[in-house]
Formats: sequence, structure tokens, C-alpha cells
Amino acid sequence: MLPNWLARPALAGLGLSPGYSFILYLALIFNHNLNFLQFTFENILILFFSLLAVFGALMMVTRKNPITSALYLILNFFCVSAIYLLLRAQFIAIIQVLVYAGAIMVLFLFVIMLLNLHDESKLSEKITYKKLSAILISLLLFSVLAITVYFSYMNKYREIHSSAETIGTIEVIGNELYTTFSFPFELVSFVLLAAIVGAIVLAKKKFD
Amino acid sequence: MLTQQILDGLSKFYPETILSVTILVIVFVELFFKKKTRVSGWIAMAGLAAAMLFTFLQVNIPAQTIFFQMVAVDPFSYFFKVLLILSGFLIVLFTFLSDEIRSSEFKTQEYYALLIALTLGGFLMASSVNLLMMYLALELSSLSSYVLAGYFKKSNRSSEAALKYVIYGGVSSGLMLFGISLIYGICGSLDMFAISAYLSANPVNLITLLIAIFLMLAGFGYKISAVPFHFWTPDVYEGSPMPVTALLSVSSKAAGFAMLIRFFLVAFQNAGHPTITTEGLHQYITLPGLHWPEVIAVIAVATMTLGNVVAIWQDNLKRLLAYSSIAQAGYMLLAFVVVSPQGISAMLTYLAVYLFMNLGAFFAAILISNKYKTENIEEMKGIGYRSPLLCVSMAVFMLSLSGIPMTAGFIGKFYIFSALINNGYIWLAIIGLMNSVVSLYYYIKILKNMFLIRPQGDTGAVSFGAGYSVLLLALAIPTIVLGIFFGPLTKFAEYSVQIFGLK
Repeated sequence: MLPNWLARPALAGLGLSPGYSFILYLALIFNHNLNFLQFTFENILILFFSLLAVFGALMMVTRKNPITSALYLILNFFCVSAIYLLLRAQFIAIIQVLVYAGAIMVLFLFVIMLLNLHDESKLSEKITYKKLSAILISLLLFSVLAITVYFSYMNKYREIHSSAETIGTIEVIGNELYTTFSFPFELVSFVLLAAIVGAIVLAKKKFD
Repeated sequence: MLTQQILDGLSKFYPETILSVTILVIVFVELFFKKKTRVSGWIAMAGLAAAMLFTFLQVNIPAQTIFFQMVAVDPFSYFFKVLLILSGFLIVLFTFLSDEIRSSEFKTQEYYALLIALTLGGFLMASSVNLLMMYLALELSSLSSYVLAGYFKKSNRSSEAALKYVIYGGVSSGLMLFGISLIYGICGSLDMFAISAYLSANPVNLITLLIAIFLMLAGFGYKISAVPFHFWTPDVYEGSPMPVTALLSVSSKAAGFAMLIRFFLVAFQNAGHPTITTEGLHQYITLPGLHWPEVIAVIAVATMTLGNVVAIWQDNLKRLLAYSSIAQAGYMLLAFVVVSPQGISAMLTYLAVYLFMNLGAFFAAILISNKYKTENIEEMKGIGYRSPLLCVSMAVFMLSLSGIPMTAGFIGKFYIFSALINNGYIWLAIIGLMNSVVSLYYYIKILKNMFLIRPQGDTGAVSFGAGYSVLLLALAIPTIVLGIFFGPLTKFAEYSVQIFGLK
């Protein structure tokens, strides 16, 4: 049996978050703004949100009540989104909120609701190798991120591509979406229509 | 410029537009009918007929891409459009004639809407030249087929089938998306022509590329139910309503093949090199060092061997047909290994033939389950004496599926094996032939039960309405005629090999 402090991150399957935020924070300091000592307003904001994200992630994995955990996870998502925004990746920031804080979080809450988990005591009786593999995967992600940060620190990727400043903006994405990708964009509406019709068909008890 | 491009695209996009409108019309119209009606079925037929008409108008259209290089209009996609509409049309008729569906208390409007959506997805799968488009088209047809598989929720089996289908489909489309993202990461583009240009001009890490190809094969393999992505097939085919099973085994398989062929040939062609023709045999030039035909060969052999061997033990007719359709996919993949126009035209010929014989087999199975209330082969003893027309047609389909001369299936197999032998893949041809012999056993087993054993108990003749007989003959006669008079079909297949962007 694993010690409880180790098992908990694995339990939620989201033990990745703390490492993730921490690495993002490191990446910011070492890489993005190039100068650690420059305390501009922007840097202070990034630092603030990074610390808040780490805090949210830590609280998420240490709370006993799953719903409290979920709420802290939302805090973490919003902080990460704010960091994206400060990095001028507006689109990713919005998608982060929409997809993670919106869709995926609602799914989590549904699961919590349906399983009727009052606390996680039942979950901690689950098999050990699952926890172990969750931890291994977390470590793997951590090492991948760490290597990336290390290489950027070693001046390898320090040159920022000229298009990087503009590519994340909504204007660029919107422009592409409504010209080159206008046809796939329209097709998505049909995919969604099929999905909606299908969901109603399957969810409805009886046709009358 | 932008408007011009889109208007120009729309003028070559009538069949798909008609299908889209049909979906919307079906969803709306039956809101005005209180009782269960067939109106939506007729609308679906009308929509398919109109789409067919406008597809025929595209017969001599020069190969080109529309909508900013998203969709190709070429003889290759034309072939698949004709195939998909034909199959859609027959499936609507099957649905009309199936007791399983008629007796259910469900209204069928969404059923037809989803059927047309699956056909539309198939159209786009056959013609997309952009990985993003490919994925969306795949999702459109997959989402519709998940729901169709579980549409008649009366039986637990049907719901189980739908659930299994969703889970397998979700996983494999996720894998495929990952593969697409890797290819995008390597080549910096989603456009197949740009991918081919990039790969031909720049050295890339072949291992990453191979991983990406394997991941993408998960998506294709799941659509055509090739080993090792076939696990869903028997359960889903067994649990789904029979017309849906027939649809899955023909339409979505054909669309999957179209996508597979176009993706591999266009994206991995060696763009920098001129076409080489040796000894009168034209071959597509693929990237050096990337051994995807070998991978396909292994998958093809595994697919047909597994399909045929496991089919021997089945006594449920639907399960047997499921394994047989896995094996058939193996034969078709075999022809893809030679990477030449001859191989592709053999594949297309086989697909067209497969449409008739497989749909025919499923229709005969529908009729047997209507009248005899059984899907078990052991319970079909002697029914050849009670309904001769049905069982003789079934015999035609079975013999054709196993590839006996004088049937269309023989022509299909003949072209595939001759393409293999002409290109020096004699071992593959021998394995294919051996598999055909194995398959003969289980196809004949059905016929043995039907004809060689006298019926016990009730021996009265069981006959069908005229509509059933006409449709049965409409499938059985082409299966024989195409086995004797196959010139036009093979000409059409040879013409349809022209894929946009390939010399």
C-alpha cells in the first residue's frame, strides 16, 4: 500500500496538475520573459497566477471531499487560462476555460454526483498498481516538461519565431476559420447535428 | 476571390448539398405526422435519387479540388458516390421490408436522417484531401452509425452493440487524431499534397512517421474492420438491426477504403520523381524507405485468415456474415499492397461486386429472420424446400462470396489475384487462394443445411410478397450477370482509378 500523501494525487487521476503548473511557472521565469529579475507588472501577474495555480492544484489533491477538490481544480484551470492570456495566447486561454472548466469539469461533477461519493475512503481501497501507474505517468509528463524547460534554459529555443506573437490571436484563427477552413467549419455543424439527433434518439424513453 | 472560390465549389457540390438538405427536411417533416408513417423513408429515397442524378451529371467532370483544397471532385470519388448511393437506396428498401423494424414501436424519422448523414459522411470521406476534413467526415459517419446500431432500443443486445461500437470507435478515432497531429507536427500541413511535397523534399524521422501511420491505421482499420481493429465487428453486427448491419458492412466499409486509398497514395507519393512504367505495368511511386505496403500486406493476411478461420465456428448467421465481411476486407486490402492502378481498379471492382453480394446475403438473412424467426444456421434445416427462391438466391450470394466461377465474386477475386501475380506477389496470391478455400467450408455449410437436409415438422411452403421477391432478384441477378458480363464494371473501375493529384 502506498502512503496516503502519494496515493491521493493518483486517486483523482489528476495528479498531473501540480507538476504541470509548477513547470509552467518555471518555464515562464526561465524562458518567456528572458530576464528573471525584471519585475514588470506583467511578470508579477504571471507569478501571482502561477502560485495560485500551484495552490489550487495542491488543495485539489489534498481535500477529502471530492466536490471541494473539483472546485479547486476549476480554480487551477482558470489560473492556467490567465497565464495563457498573459502569454498572448488568447485563443488557447478561452478554449482552456470552455473545454476544461466548462465541459470536462461538468463531466467530473456528473460522475461525482452519479457515484454519490461523500468522501474518498472507498476509493483509497482500490488496487495499488493503478495508483502506481498514475504516478508513473505523472512523472513521465513531468520529465518531458522538465526536459523542454531545460533545453529552453540552455538557449536552445530562445529565439522566438516571428509569427509566434500573432499566431495565437483570435483574429488570425478567425480569419483562417472563415476562409480556408470555411468548409470544414460548416461540416462541423452537420457532425453536431448528427450527434444531437443521436443523443436525443438514444436518451428518449419511447417515441410517441 | 473568396466568394468566387466558394460559389465555384458549390456548383460542383450538388450531390452533397442535396443530401444535407434531405437530412434537414426529414428531421422537420415528420414533426407534422402524429402516427408512424413512411414519409421520411420516401423523402430519403427521393433525396438519394436526386443526389444520384446530380452525381451522374458529374461523370465527365475534370479532376479538381474545391473549397480551398478541402474536397476533391474526381473519378475516384465519383465511383464511391455511386456505390454509396446505391447502397443507401437498397438499405432504405431493406428497412421498409424488415419486420424487425416494422414491428418496433419507434418512429423512424431520425433513422432515415442518420442513414443519409452516414451516406453524406461517406461521400466526404471518399473525397476529402485534407486530414482535418477526413477526420470530420469520419466522425460524421461514425456518429450516425453508433446511433443507428442502437436505434431500436427494445433489445438489450442492440444497446450493447451500440455501446461497444461507441467505445471502440471513440478510441480508434482518438488514436487517429493523435496520428494526424503527429503528421501535422512533422510536415506542418494538413493538406495531403503539401504533406507529400514536404516528405519528398525533406528528410524526416521515419520512426515518428511510422508511428503516425500506425495510429492513423487504427482509424482506417476500425472503419474497414481489419485485424487488429476488428473486435467490435461480430458483436455490433449481431446486435444491430439487420438493415443497419448491412449498411455498416457495405457503406461504411467502402467509405473507409476510399479514405485509406486516397490518404496512402496521395500523402505518401514521391512527388519529386516522375512516374516510372516498367513492362507495361504502371506503378505509383511511393516514398523510399517507408514500408507501408508491407504493413498493409501483413494486416491483409491477418485479416482474411482470422475472418475465415473464426467464421468456421459460427452458427449465428449474422455473426458468420460479420466474420465473412472481415475476411472480405482482407481480400480487398490484399489488392492495395501492389500500389498500382491495376491493384486499385481490382479493389474497386471487388467493392462494387461486394455491394451486391453482401447486401444480398444480408437481405436473405433479413427474410429468413422475418419468416422463420431464427438466425441460427442449425435451425435453417431444409428451408430450401419451403422457400426455394429465397434459398437459391442465398446460394448465389454465398457462392459469390466464396468466389466460385460464374458469379461476380469470382471476377472480383480473379482481378485481385491477377494484380498480385502480375506484380510479383505470388505468395500473397497463394495465401489468398488458400483462404478462399477455407471460406468455402462455412459458406457451403449454410447451403448444406438449407438444401441437403429434409425439413422436419412443418414442411409447408413459405412465400413472400412480390416486393420481397423483386428486391431479392434485383440483388441476385446482378451477382450472376456481373460474373459473366463484367466488361463495363471493370472499365468503370479502371476509369475511376484516376485520383486527383496522382499521375
